[in-house]
Amino acid sequence: MDVLTFSRIQFGDTAAFHILWPLMSIGLALYLAIMEGMWLYTKDESYYRQLRFWIKIFVLTFAIGVASGFPLSFQFGTNWAAFSNAAGSFFGNILGFETTIAFTLETASLGILLFGWKRVPRAVHFIANLFVLIGASLSGFWIVAANSWMQVPHGVAFVEGKFVVTDYLAAIFNPDTLVSFAHMWLACIVATMFLVAGISAAVLLTKNAADATRAFFLHSLRYALMLIIITTPVQMVVGDMFGGILEANQPAKLAAYELHWNTNPPGTGASLNLFAWPRADGGGNVFQISVPNLLSYIVVHTPDGEVKGLNDFPPLDRPSVVDAIITFLSFRVMVGLGVVMFFIAVWGIVLWRRGVLTLPAILSRRWFLRVLVAAIPAGFIATEAGWMVREIGRQPWVVYGMMRTTDALSSNLALPQVGTSLIGLSVIYAALAVAFVVFVVRIVRRGPDLTTPIP
Amino acid sequence: MITLPIIWYLIICLELALYVLLDGANLGVGIVSLFPQQESKRASMLTILGPIWNANETWLLVAAGTLFGAFPAVYSIGLNALYLPGVIILIGLILRAVSFEFHAFSVHKRPWSFAFGLGSLITAIGHGAALGGLLSGIAVVDGHFAGGPLSWATPLTGIIIVGVVASYLVLGYAYLIRRMAYENQHETFSRLLTTVGITFVALAIATLFLPVQNFLFFTRWVEPPSMYYLTAIAVGIVIASAFLLHAVIRHRHAERLYPLALIIFGLGFVGMLVGTYPYLMPPSITLFDAASPHNTLVFMLWGIGPILPIVLLYNIYLSRVFRSDAHEVRANAYDI
Ligand code: HDD
Ligand code: HEM
Ligand code: HEM
Repeated sequence: MDVLTFSRIQFGDTAAFHILWPLMSIGLALYLAIMEGMWLYTKDESYYRQLRFWIKIFVLTFAIGVASGFPLSFQFGTNWAAFSNAAGSFFGNILGFETTIAFTLETASLGILLFGWKRVPRAVHFIANLFVLIGASLSGFWIVAANSWMQVPHGVAFVEGKFVVTDYLAAIFNPDTLVSFAHMWLACIVATMFLVAGISAAVLLTKNAADATRAFFLHSLRYALMLIIITTPVQMVVGDMFGGILEANQPAKLAAYELHWNTNPPGTGASLNLFAWPRADGGGNVFQISVPNLLSYIVVHTPDGEVKGLNDFPPLDRPSVVDAIITFLSFRVMVGLGVVMFFIAVWGIVLWRRGVLTLPAILSRRWFLRVLVAAIPAGFIATEAGWMVREIGRQPWVVYGMMRTTDALSSNLALPQVGTSLIGLSVIYAALAVAFVVFVVRIVRRGPDLTTPIP
Repeated sequence: MITLPIIWYLIICLELALYVLLDGANLGVGIVSLFPQQESKRASMLTILGPIWNANETWLLVAAGTLFGAFPAVYSIGLNALYLPGVIILIGLILRAVSFEFHAFSVHKRPWSFAFGLGSLITAIGHGAALGGLLSGIAVVDGHFAGGPLSWATPLTGIIIVGVVASYLVLGYAYLIRRMAYENQHETFSRLLTTVGITFVALAIATLFLPVQNFLFFTRWVEPPSMYYLTAIAVGIVIASAFLLHAVIRHRHAERLYPLALIIFGLGFVGMLVGTYPYLMPPSITLFDAASPHNTLVFMLWGIGPILPIVLLYNIYLSRVFRSDAHEVRANAYDI
């Protein structure tokens, strides 16, 4: 193990942890904004109760999101100084936009959202709520734009070891940015609404819950399901749009997704590997179960369109065999879970149309509720898998085709330094995750406050 | 002539000053909460900071983000060199960020209020270590950091850590007195006096030590024009301190303490800038060496320039909304 490997593990570890919380913060911010909007519009107090209850969980996700975001920003300097120095004039600029334009809006509005109940008029409070949503989404946009530029570095030239921007619009809105942002933002909604639905289902499954509590969580369940039904199919369509982008800009990554080694000769179609395992030395698969022509269909939309295979790239310019396996498996995990979540949504529509999403009818649909509880982790796992696909599949490049990960590292780092920070952060993160679960369970057990007067 | 790198330098200094002064007071309050006292007092300290700490802390990120874009060499080489101080700050910020909300929800309050205080103390120590490391001089060869993991840990850094922690305590006490969160004013005044004393001793030693550690600072004190500016600032600090001490000893004008403390540390900050300009990392990298290409600086100015005044106004609005004393705030806290 060397400093480079440790630094990569550390970045992957801390990013994978951080992403969990913005997922929930953005998802819950949307839910809260809908609830407050409905409350102001209908004057129905039950929306206010929703707002006050779910805000408690939002507060926790936000706090851990902030806490785990710092180590990421710092690492660009501490561990990836060569990359930051070379790419700073664009990459740092975008992160500067994120902090100045998005975080400031979000954190200042948050103060009002949480503590402003009696201090500002309702309309101002609602605006602050919207600002939290917009701020969080904007910060997601800028960070995804920065990452998309690492994936598809348009609009820059590499001069004397540094990136110089030649076209800002092309760099920010490269072909990958908007699709990635849409896919990421939808992932926030999907994952969080499965959490809300799962928690609500868990409460509905308990035997001795009070009627008012049941009504409260049924309300949450219905709204969450509604958002799930809208977002899961759209998410699949957006995910499919990556195919063409990757083919044009990151062909080696696309080949790694599919463990597709040899370019299909003209006149024949590329087949899609449902499952495969590569030879230890790369170059081909030990075995594969595949569907003829399907890969050409998906990527080029014709039965015999050409899809480049991994062997077309020099071994040093394509993902290693281990990277390719991780990319291949993660991709199947994400798509598989996406399909499962879609079917759960369809099941929800069927029940809804039959009028079963009411009390007490829902209580007898125990299997549906149980599946919802079991599906709580699905969106989170799919998101982690999606990022693994994206980040590991782009190896060995940190800026695709322009700068290698091995050239990105800081100088004069010692293994004990990186080891200490990696272990320290991992321990703290594990503790935070446990504390989060304990507190959420406690908040849900205590249930919503249905009596305190409305401010 | 005012050029783009200088404009960005000034913007970042302003952001950093806002961070140090605003969050410095919050960190100071956190450290105060570590001293033995009733748990309810600790809770009320957390309550006054609740709505504002996050917005204050964001100035650190804003300064860091702008630094990264405008002076990438300093962001990367600086953090590369200050790896361990960076990790110390991170751990402190993480502890502090989560302890607020977990404290609100917890059954056993003490561990979380302790985590809040400890996080504040660790962050303050990290700030001192980073500042000390920066002022001690960072070795740079060919645009890469050329020192070792512990190059930042000089005797000067030790003194600066003491000075930073003590200054945050001064700000914290002054802030508490202003927000009337501390019932035992008498005790607070005498503690304020002690921390003011420690701050001055530490900073005086550091000022004498600086030229020894980093020759640049010697020239600043003996060559015009920086010599005149520095002397003027020192006189300003002495005058403001005299007012502060007078108010503390006489227990009068409690409401003036916080602004006075802000003025003193603001002047100290300006003094540091005068002492180091145009270096961002004395004595190796100037702001001109480190600046991003011209088109980046222009583009960033279009993106960030119009936003900053809005952010400032929004933050002023925020602090006005929450500007009442601790008891009232507590009644309004989100009742969980
Ligand atoms: C709820 C989460 C979720 C679900 C259900 C899906 N995805 Fe996804 N996917 C993500 C969450 C995600 C993500 C974590 O958010 C990623 C990582 C980077 C990004 O922008 O989105 C991602 C990346 C990602 C990439 C990689 C882009 C790249 O390498 O640059 C592809 C090709 C897809 N997705 C395709 C799909 C398809 C075809 C799906 C159909 C079921 C799908 N995703 C469902
Ligand atoms: C939050 C979701 C993310 C996850 C889970 C994630 C995951 C990972 C992983 C696993 C690696 C290590 C790859 C390897 O070395 O094999 C990595 C590296 C890296 N990622 Fe991400 N990433 C995320 C988001 C981002 C974003 C938004 C950016 C940029 C703004 C980014 C920038 C980087 C950089 C600079 C590296 C180090 C260089 C490298 O190893 O290629 N990541 N990430
Ligand atoms: C695609 C992946 C990412 C998304 C969608 C995302 C989004 C967010 C959001 C919405 C927040 C606000 C806090 C919260 O709601 O939890 C946040 C916090 C933060 N993120 Fe990320 N982030 C991602 C990856 C990263 C990366 C790679 C970095 C490193 C530069 C980073 C740095 C930060 C920092 C420093 C904070 C704390 C800011 C504060 O005080 O509010 N994030 N992130």
